[in-house]
Amino acid sequence: MRAAKFMAFRLSPELAPYLFLSPFVLLFLVFGVFPLLFSLYLAFQTWEPTSGLAAMQFVGWDNFAFALQDEWFWKSLKNTAWLALASGVPQHLVAIPLACFIHSSFGSLRNGVVGAYFMPYITSTVAIAILFSSLFSTDYGLINVVLSGLSQIPLLGGLMPQHPVDWLNDPDTIKPAIALIVFWRYVGFNVVLYLAALQTIPKDIYEAATMDGASRWQQFWFITLPSLKPMIFFGVTLSVIGGLQLFEEAFILTGGRGGSDQAGMTTAIYLYRMAFDFNDFGAASAMSWLLFIVVALLTWLTNRLFSTKESHS
Amino acid sequence: MGQVSLQGIRKNYAEVSVIKGIDLEVQDGEFMVFVGPSGCGKSTLLRMIAGLESISGGELRIDGVRANELRPADRGAAMVFQSYALYPHMTVAENMGFALKMAGVPKQQRAAQVGRAAEVLHIVELLARYPKELSGGQRQRVAIGRAIVRKPAVFLFDEPLSNLDAALRVSMRTELSRLHKELATTMIYVTHDQVEALTLGNRIAVFNQGHIEQLGAPMDLYHRPANEFVANFIGMPNINLIDRPDSASAAHLALWEALQGSATVQRIGLRPEHLHLAGQGIPALVVLAEHLGDSSILHLQVEGVNGLLKAKVVAGQCITGQMVCIAPDASRVLRYDVDGRLMESGGNS
Ligand SMILES: Nc1ncnc2c1ncn2[C@@H]1O[C@H](COP(=O)(O)OP(=O)(O)OP(=O)(O)O)[C@@H](O)[C@H]1O
Ligand SMILES: [Mg+2]
Repeated sequence: MRAAKFMAFRLSPELAPYLFLSPFVLLFLVFGVFPLLFSLYLAFQTWEPTSGLAAMQFVGWDNFAFALQDEWFWKSLKNTAWLALASGVPQHLVAIPLACFIHSSFGSLRNGVVGAYFMPYITSTVAIAILFSSLFSTDYGLINVVLSGLSQIPLLGGLMPQHPVDWLNDPDTIKPAIALIVFWRYVGFNVVLYLAALQTIPKDIYEAATMDGASRWQQFWFITLPSLKPMIFFGVTLSVIGGLQLFEEAFILTGGRGGSDQAGMTTAIYLYRMAFDFNDFGAASAMSWLLFIVVALLTWLTNRLFSTKESHS
Repeated sequence: MGQVSLQGIRKNYAEVSVIKGIDLEVQDGEFMVFVGPSGCGKSTLLRMIAGLESISGGELRIDGVRANELRPADRGAAMVFQSYALYPHMTVAENMGFALKMAGVPKQQRAAQVGRAAEVLHIVELLARYPKELSGGQRQRVAIGRAIVRKPAVFLFDEPLSNLDAALRVSMRTELSRLHKELATTMIYVTHDQVEALTLGNRIAVFNQGHIEQLGAPMDLYHRPANEFVANFIGMPNINLIDRPDSASAAHLALWEALQGSATVQRIGLRPEHLHLAGQGIPALVVLAEHLGDSSILHLQVEGVNGLLKAKVVAGQCITGQMVCIAPDASRVLRYDVDGRLMESGGNS
């Protein structure tokens, strides 16, 4: 009797998949699709959120025109590009050789070493910001202490700054400081990516190359690097996307304002401020869509860059 | 030139001794085959000659020069891997020319040499392709081509055909034979397929657990296997090994009599094709008859004899379950002593 009752509640096989999918779909609709479409809608409106939804007014392309004429918007784009390059390029230039080194040189210690490099990636941004704020501190920061120590050395000393550097408040040094943190934070992630790729390269290819007379360096250049190419593409794409959306690290280090002379203000920070500090949600939405176009364009470009060689040579 | 000389070659992994002292002279231009069961150390020895494994003891000489410490590329040996080991991101031409590029050969000369090798292997039209665009057989040719381009003194093959299907394996086998005649270069070839060994080799070294059981020409190995291991390993279907009778079985005694076994003989080997059906002789039960078309393999039960005897007979003579009479060809009998070593023929009768 009971069994029969249960049977009555059985879902029809056609319906079951949709029911099981619905939690995700629902969340995705509410927190993914809706904000996306709403921001697109907002980009063509002028709106003071404090005056309620009824205060919205259609303004056509005005918000975009405003964004494109806004000096700070362009400045934030330049900052973002600078930071993306200065943190992204070294990430890969260091991660690839480092991954190769770890791959070939650490036996049982390997996982521990990889874990150490991966740590920053999973550490809270706030903790990182506190750590680096103290490292970069003008008077007591370790970095300035080391620099002043180096300046005592006869020849090298000439290249070192003579006074403690105010890293996080000087417009000239805030960007390198942020780039360093971003580099430090994501290099381990890239190492893990490249290690995974290295493990898929068959060993006998290297043996064949050894027989063919390739030195270790030549094996790296002619075998390892080309084999890593798909992963480099993947990693660089992630870096491009992540770099252009850079927010957290810069936001916390500059106290959420972009630093003096807006030197540390990324586009993501600026459009956040545009919305929540200046209460202009329309312009902020327009800027976010402009940023999206830049991201899409650069991703496409990366894709082109990595795919041309194979098909044309 | 391509003379390889091994003197007391050994290989140890930690405590385990894998190669236990190999002495072998491979002549210039010879096709030498290493054959043996899995794990006997064939690949290890080949890789030691190539320089991919260090040599724990003994001396390796290539063309008279001690090669133990030479870099792999300087030994004049080229290797063809079982997995082909082609560089996936390079075209066929680039794959074949890679060694020359590493040696600093200018581009045009490289292209010319690659072109010549491609002609020999009939893969000219594949030169611009990538390995993933090739069939297994084509990849194998490219792998061989990559070895040829280097003009090595010795070719080393590690089971190069084992990833191919049966038909392709046969055609590549003849191809390799042709290639050996054309290039007249020393080849050392590892396989565990005895058909390959018998058809390709000028000489065959049969390996077992890190040492050579017998070294000789293919037909010598087949007709005069020096010990029971070789007798058992070479030949398809396996040789019949018949123990000296200790039971009172009349059939077993009659068989031993027919085989002309003597007091010192411990075991007698007889190839299946030398066991015939006869009008009268030793009675045997056909446990299984495998019909191969041109011939049949009979698995025979003789009372008192351990295991089944195999006889290769003209097709279609018997069916499973039938009683037959068998007669061995006594002139083809191989006699082994207590230690499993071949006894001088004619020593007993
Ligand atoms: N790195 C190693 N460490 C320890 N033992 C090894 C190592 N490499 C090989 N061996 C052992 O050496 C023996 C010979 O191996 P090898 O690969 O030469 O066999 P093989 O004759 O080529 O066999 P197959 O026909 O299966 O290829 C095996 O017993 C193997 O377990
Ligand atoms: Mg092997």
